[in-house]
Amino acid sequence: MEALPQTLLFGILRSGLYALSALGLAISLGVIGVVNFAHGEFVMLGAYLGFWLYVVLSGPLGLGPEVSPLVIVLGIPLSAIVLFALGRGIFRFTLRPLLGRRELDQMLLTFGLAILVQNLAVIVLSPQALDANLGWRFELLPVGPVSVTYARLAAFAVSMALVVGVYALLARSQLGKQMRAVAQNRLGAQVVGINVDRVYEIAFGLSLALAGAAGVMYVFQTQVSPFLGLATILKAFSIVVLAGLGNLFGVLWASLLLGIAEQLVSQYVPGGAALRDGLFFLIIFAVLVVRPGGLRRAHG
Amino acid sequence: MTALLEVDGLVRRFRGLAAVDRLSFTVEQGRTVAIIGPNGAGKTTTFNLVSGLLAADAGTVRFRDREVTRQRAHVRCRAGMGRTFQVVQPFADLDVGENVMVGALFGDDRRPSLATAVAEAARLCDLVGLGEKIGRPVASLTVPDRKRLELARALATRPALLMLDEVMEGLTPSEEREAVALLHRVRDEGVTLLLIEHVMSTVRDLSDHVIVMDYGKKLAEGTYAEISQDPKVIAAYLGSDEDSVE
Amino acid sequence: MRRELAAWAAFLVLVAALPLSGIGSDRYLMLLANVMLMFMALALSWDVVARTGQLSLAHGAFFGLGAYTVALGHKYAALHPLLGLPLAALAGALVALALGIVTLRLRGIYFAIATLAFAEVLRTVALQLPDLTGGPVGISMPPLFDGDRVASYYLAIAIFVAALALSLGVRHSRAHYAVTAIRANETVAAVMGVNVVRTKVLTFTASAVVATLAGAFYMPFITHTDPHDAFDISRSVAALVFPIFGGLYTTAGPVLGTVVLRAFEEYLRVTPPWKEGYQVVYGAVIVIAVLFIPRGVLGLVQRYAPRAGALLGRRPRGSVPGTPSGPRS
Repeated sequence: MEALPQTLLFGILRSGLYALSALGLAISLGVIGVVNFAHGEFVMLGAYLGFWLYVVLSGPLGLGPEVSPLVIVLGIPLSAIVLFALGRGIFRFTLRPLLGRRELDQMLLTFGLAILVQNLAVIVLSPQALDANLGWRFELLPVGPVSVTYARLAAFAVSMALVVGVYALLARSQLGKQMRAVAQNRLGAQVVGINVDRVYEIAFGLSLALAGAAGVMYVFQTQVSPFLGLATILKAFSIVVLAGLGNLFGVLWASLLLGIAEQLVSQYVPGGAALRDGLFFLIIFAVLVVRPGGLRRAHG
Repeated sequence: MTALLEVDGLVRRFRGLAAVDRLSFTVEQGRTVAIIGPNGAGKTTTFNLVSGLLAADAGTVRFRDREVTRQRAHVRCRAGMGRTFQVVQPFADLDVGENVMVGALFGDDRRPSLATAVAEAARLCDLVGLGEKIGRPVASLTVPDRKRLELARALATRPALLMLDEVMEGLTPSEEREAVALLHRVRDEGVTLLLIEHVMSTVRDLSDHVIVMDYGKKLAEGTYAEISQDPKVIAAYLGSDEDSVE
Repeated sequence: MRRELAAWAAFLVLVAALPLSGIGSDRYLMLLANVMLMFMALALSWDVVARTGQLSLAHGAFFGLGAYTVALGHKYAALHPLLGLPLAALAGALVALALGIVTLRLRGIYFAIATLAFAEVLRTVALQLPDLTGGPVGISMPPLFDGDRVASYYLAIAIFVAALALSLGVRHSRAHYAVTAIRANETVAAVMGVNVVRTKVLTFTASAVVATLAGAFYMPFITHTDPHDAFDISRSVAALVFPIFGGLYTTAGPVLGTVVLRAFEEYLRVTPPWKEGYQVVYGAVIVIAVLFIPRGVLGLVQRYAPRAGALLGRRPRGSVPGTPSGPRS
């Protein structure tokens, strides 16, 4: 069937976005060891930021719907900067005091943050879903036997560029090396003179910045609503779980796998479009059962 | 002499490196054994393997003539293995007496009543010298007191074999002497001791048999006098920060 | 312990006598009273699992499971809701056992994520099997006791008593030592002879059964539900916010937290601008409690007015540094 290459392509393209948002989660989990239940809410905030930018640029500035590429070019840095700052602030005032305490407390805190942010958005913004009317979204670009919208292509390209950029940062830069050192062995990193606190703060800021960037990309793909967070967090979790705790580089292939699987299920399993969401949750289970990364690394 | 614990060919790897490498030794009932060796020699890993907190990659552990290699930690505890931890970890949210009660309630197949466990905890706290602090929160305990608590708690599980992981660490010399006297009393109760120790005077005073580990392997074994003369052992310790073997 | 039991018995008498004071004829207040008891049971059940140190985000899902079991039992077997209750309890127990066995070997992080995923799976199942469950439209059944809210109130009391029994039972038995040890340090607990996996699974199952019963009560009381309502995350949030606010690991804490917060919620729900986002308060409560008052309101009372705290129920010793402990109960 001709649909197969199309389906695969869609899966690959979607995976870019998933990778971007999951990478942020993986960083906070891998480097700091915090399960950030609120991660999805920051994607949501990024999405709203992108949406406002679009409204401002296309409306009052009269630039019209062609402004979409501008939204990306301006929106991503804007969103990343705002959320980076927000992330550092949140870390400093809420997470850092909790670092010595039980995991349970940290999880509870981020869960509370998630509920707080989501409902704050419902109150301050509106529970209605908003649509960025970007005609550009639907224009098709034929690529051989398949066709794809500019929007998806752009989202994929930008997301991938960012993901690769972050990987380069992790692999090459001083900061990146420090983050990886801390992720592997906090005590050892301290002994070597790394300022672990500062690394944590920056890592968390980065994690939220990535969420924000992913959020801006979502504006082109879906409706923006305060409930966007819940939808993204479980997908991000399943990717991170599949890649393995702390495995930052594995996020890429895990996203690809899940992105493709999602489309395949959607296309070929009867009633699949609806079951698609369930897939991610089932994957979480399956992975946890088969490979309970939860088994403690041996002490002693 | 009956062999209480028999470890044969025990192996445990972490990411390809053998932390414990074909280790074999025996602990006979009533004879105190000490395991010594430089840092990273695999001593605590051995304890974790024997007590069931870690699964062995190969080899067997036999306790009281039964193979326990696949048994979970709590089963081995009920069979008569007790242990303390190098970094003392009392149960927060339970006071001193209640900590010991955990061992008394669950460490044995007897399933005692709460009242019996309370009495047992009181007795053991007195034995280790914590009698007056029995209702105190554990956060308020000094380091030697925490060690006493560890000991009392482990004893509450009625062990036949008690594994002590660096119990002397962090104690002043006079506290050490008290601890050794306490361990003598414990031995008199019929408990066989297996120690990991860095403090050589303790090893010399308490142990009937010493096993020296290095890089996960058994380097040497014998009486304290024998191994302290062994050139391999001396070489292994040279260049490390341990007490030099006298 | 006797004093505590007596206090709860007295409380129950007051609760049972409530309809006799004019409130019985006020339909709105009786509605609130019914719902309050239901949430007290849910909160108590969550607290019991928290005692093992696990963060469950599945309690709302068990609630929904109870609701749907009773509804489906009525739809396909004309089961009276009172018979639906034990059926729901059984369903809850089986599902919890399965879930527990699969997930409770996992570390806290993964357990929490798994429970969240489980909740979503249930919701998806309810949504995607319209022939069975009515799909997004939901499912209905006739009102409990023909809408007599006083009669249903007494059923709610019964479920509350079950939750109370669970909470107090764990506290005053060997189980208390097992769960507290597990929460403090699973590894050491195992070495002290505690069967960690079995304790966690049993605790989780018992707790889930109570949560399921709460949902099983909810269904005929409210007469209609749908996947969005039954499996709403707000129930899981409520299940955990009430005990955290009131005081974790106690029996009075979840009850107190439910009464205060649920009443406050009623006010918020009709007051702009909170109306639809009232849960923001719960989010704030969680964040503030975790950061500043981890022992909840009861913890504050215990610290600053210890005699009043003792009246409200015994607190785990050793939790408040510097406070002398009393004789064991």
